[in-house]
Amino acid sequence: MTAAQIRFATLWRRECNRFLKIKKQTIGAPMLETFLYITIFGAALGSRIKHLHGIDYVLFVIPGLIMMAFSTNAFSNNSSSILQQKFQGAIQDQLSSPASPLELLLAFSLGGFMRGLTVAVLTFVVSVILVGLPVEHVLVLVPSLFLVGFFFSQLGVLIGVRAEQFDDVAFAQTFVLQPLIFLGGVFYSAALLPQPWETLTRFDPIFYMINLVRYGFVGFTEVSIALSLLALTAATTALFLFNLRLFSRGYRLRA
Amino acid sequence: MARVAPGMKALDITDLEKRYPTGVEALRGVSLEIEEGEFFGLLGPNGAGKSTLIHCTTGLAQPTGGSIEIFGADAIGNYADARQAVGLAPQEPNVDWFLTVEETLDYHAGYFGMPRSERRQRTKELLETFSLTEKRDERTRTLSGGMKRRLILARAVMHRPRLLILDEPTAGVDVELRLELWHYVQKINQEGTTILLTTHYLEEAEQLCDRIAFIADGQIVAEGTSPELAARFDVPNLEDAYLALVGRKELSRSHIELTADEVEA
Repeated sequence: MTAAQIRFATLWRRECNRFLKIKKQTIGAPMLETFLYITIFGAALGSRIKHLHGIDYVLFVIPGLIMMAFSTNAFSNNSSSILQQKFQGAIQDQLSSPASPLELLLAFSLGGFMRGLTVAVLTFVVSVILVGLPVEHVLVLVPSLFLVGFFFSQLGVLIGVRAEQFDDVAFAQTFVLQPLIFLGGVFYSAALLPQPWETLTRFDPIFYMINLVRYGFVGFTEVSIALSLLALTAATTALFLFNLRLFSRGYRLRA
Repeated sequence: MARVAPGMKALDITDLEKRYPTGVEALRGVSLEIEEGEFFGLLGPNGAGKSTLIHCTTGLAQPTGGSIEIFGADAIGNYADARQAVGLAPQEPNVDWFLTVEETLDYHAGYFGMPRSERRQRTKELLETFSLTEKRDERTRTLSGGMKRRLILARAVMHRPRLLILDEPTAGVDVELRLELWHYVQKINQEGTTILLTTHYLEEAEQLCDRIAFIADGQIVAEGTSPELAARFDVPNLEDAYLALVGRKELSRSHIELTADEVEA
């Protein structure tokens, strides 16, 4: 391995090691939360609703829950990790190393990505075993999940870099991210909503992400897949480039 | 003291400026040269600009003017080569709470591109040198202040830097540990590592440093050996030179002793 490869692998390992050391909190708790949602919305409500757009309600809900688990874990991991390291001053050890802004950004991003992916994959495996969750369009599902995970990893990095106290991270998660996810159609179809809510839902970017993932799993969508993939790719790229610029300038990282 | 071989500059700072977004001018045209192998002291009152200068040198702060070269590499433009050559033991023990003592050293070396087999060997060596072997699996947050200091210094030298920067490394440590740390630092200085030290313990600076610079209000105001600085301020020793610099001559021990003698008479 070259020195640059060792450097990047170590930075990445540090991020993964961090969440694995507290896996009850970083893996266990989100898994429990996801399965509580499946139980409440899938089993309890599902016994009344039965089908939505011809799909078992539990199968309709699970793709959104997988997407939600991936996104919230990727986001919260990165925002917390960066803020904690800033708070402790430990980030100085990485910032004073020869690592480039790109290496630092990618390593911070991939820590959250790996945590989100771990929770999402575990949820998927259990869902396949328990309720036979299908995968209808793997070529849409894989890039969609990758982009969703990477987008929220970047968002977590952005909030972590900007945050000056833990309240800043909690605010972004509780008052921005959670409402957008819940109102993006995880548990329902936008077509069932009265106006103006149906139209308003279409202004929620997460609505398109949920539909991409849902299409990948069960083959149902309320939006154009090609356009959504294109928009998500553009948004993820833009956010990544914005973060790279912040890291290059040392924004709130270097004095 | 190490023998200083003139020639290669370990650190070459020219007209360095740092203005914070708040408008505070922490550094106002600092120029400083440290020869390879030198043990150099940077002294000054709190808020004089010592830590800002160190942060600019190590990439933790971004200068707003001037240049920094570390062993000929531009620390701002070609920062990778420059940072590879520097080890920093900061004023505050900034250890990562999630890591164990051993991981702290291993990860640091990884950030500097050291291969795994070399990291293992070097970690073992430094754990023994700094009496940390028994603590190797403990999380850093459980360490005492003294142990954290040992770890910070071990981490700073882990990647074998050619320039070691020590920002008040003995602040708040007991006499025994202070002597241990200085023995180690003197040893690696004699082996060729250049040292830049900031401290408020003037007797340490006087004993350890080949040359010393006084920094005040973001500017280097005097530079030389300890006797040269004393002569410059027309006082008997470094401490009095420092007191003259900060405008507190009345605190001089010789002044206090003289006053006591006068009282007795």
